[in-house]
Amino acid sequence: MIPLENFLILSGILFATGLYGVLARRSAILILMSVELMLAAVSINFIAFAAYLDGEAFSGLVFALFVITVAAAEVGLALGIVLRLFRERRTSYVDAADSLKW
Amino acid sequence: MIDRLPLPAQFDRLIIAGGTAVALVMTPILVVLLALMIGDEISAAELVFWLAFTVIVAGALGTVLLSNIVHAALALIATLLGVAAIYLLLATEFIALVQILVYGGGVVILIIFGLMMTNAQADPIVSDGSQKPFAAIVGLLLGSIFIAAAIDAEWGAQTTAVIPFRDFGARLFRDFIVPVIIVGVLLDIALSGALINARSSSDDDEAEPASEESEAAS
Repeated sequence: MIPLENFLILSGILFATGLYGVLARRSAILILMSVELMLAAVSINFIAFAAYLDGEAFSGLVFALFVITVAAAEVGLALGIVLRLFRERRTSYVDAADSLKW
Repeated sequence: MIDRLPLPAQFDRLIIAGGTAVALVMTPILVVLLALMIGDEISAAELVFWLAFTVIVAGALGTVLLSNIVHAALALIATLLGVAAIYLLLATEFIALVQILVYGGGVVILIIFGLMMTNAQADPIVSDGSQKPFAAIVGLLLGSIFIAAAIDAEWGAQTTAVIPFRDFGARLFRDFIVPVIIVGVLLDIALSGALINARSSSDDDEAEPASEESEAAS
């Protein structure tokens, strides 16, 4: 039996890697991909806790399902915004979208 | 057979180089893990776990470090499939299948379309921001805090519960019906928002808002 800590360590590494990507990347699509990594890490945590600590093992699954759904919606919406940004500015780097900065 | 396929030479080189690199990295790991399993050091489930661990961590590092944006997308696919393997290992087949369908079939394809419709095809090499060292410090700090907390904490009595799957849908729509409806509304809003955002501005000039509404109503 694999100890629960192994899954938590895996998810921690995955989340930290995704956070590094979000902070270090400039391309909007790569930031989006790093956010996907962080969401996957959270889902691993939910399902590991559901399988190991919850006797009924149901709520964690539902949360993971909702995380996947919300991630899909987020990607669709964010890619629409990225396409719009690319049409307006001819680039997909996030530091081109600084009109609200003063 | 191979040379009749209309592949550009660059694509061939990419496949060969990538496959060689993956094989060179994965073969020693696989051999070590198999030796440990035959020597009864680890169980078959642990073998699968460590294989998935390697794929996930390598894929995640590839996603955040590779400078070619298409290669980063391919590394993301590897990571998400490894996460699906972890779900299978935790006996949640339904979530694993949803993960493969939604991520492998939907999200990644959408991302690759997004890449191709922006500047990835002409110029796939991206540069990173100047805040890289700080990002690395923050990532390392947070990761070590997570790992230390996971090792240090007491998790109580652990039961490997087998997830009841026969009544998954029934329980989802009975106990969680309000969140399901909210997520449905959220998907609807996201779809409309994506459509409005991605429409080109020339469409905005041509289309009359009133006529669009009357079409939608009819």
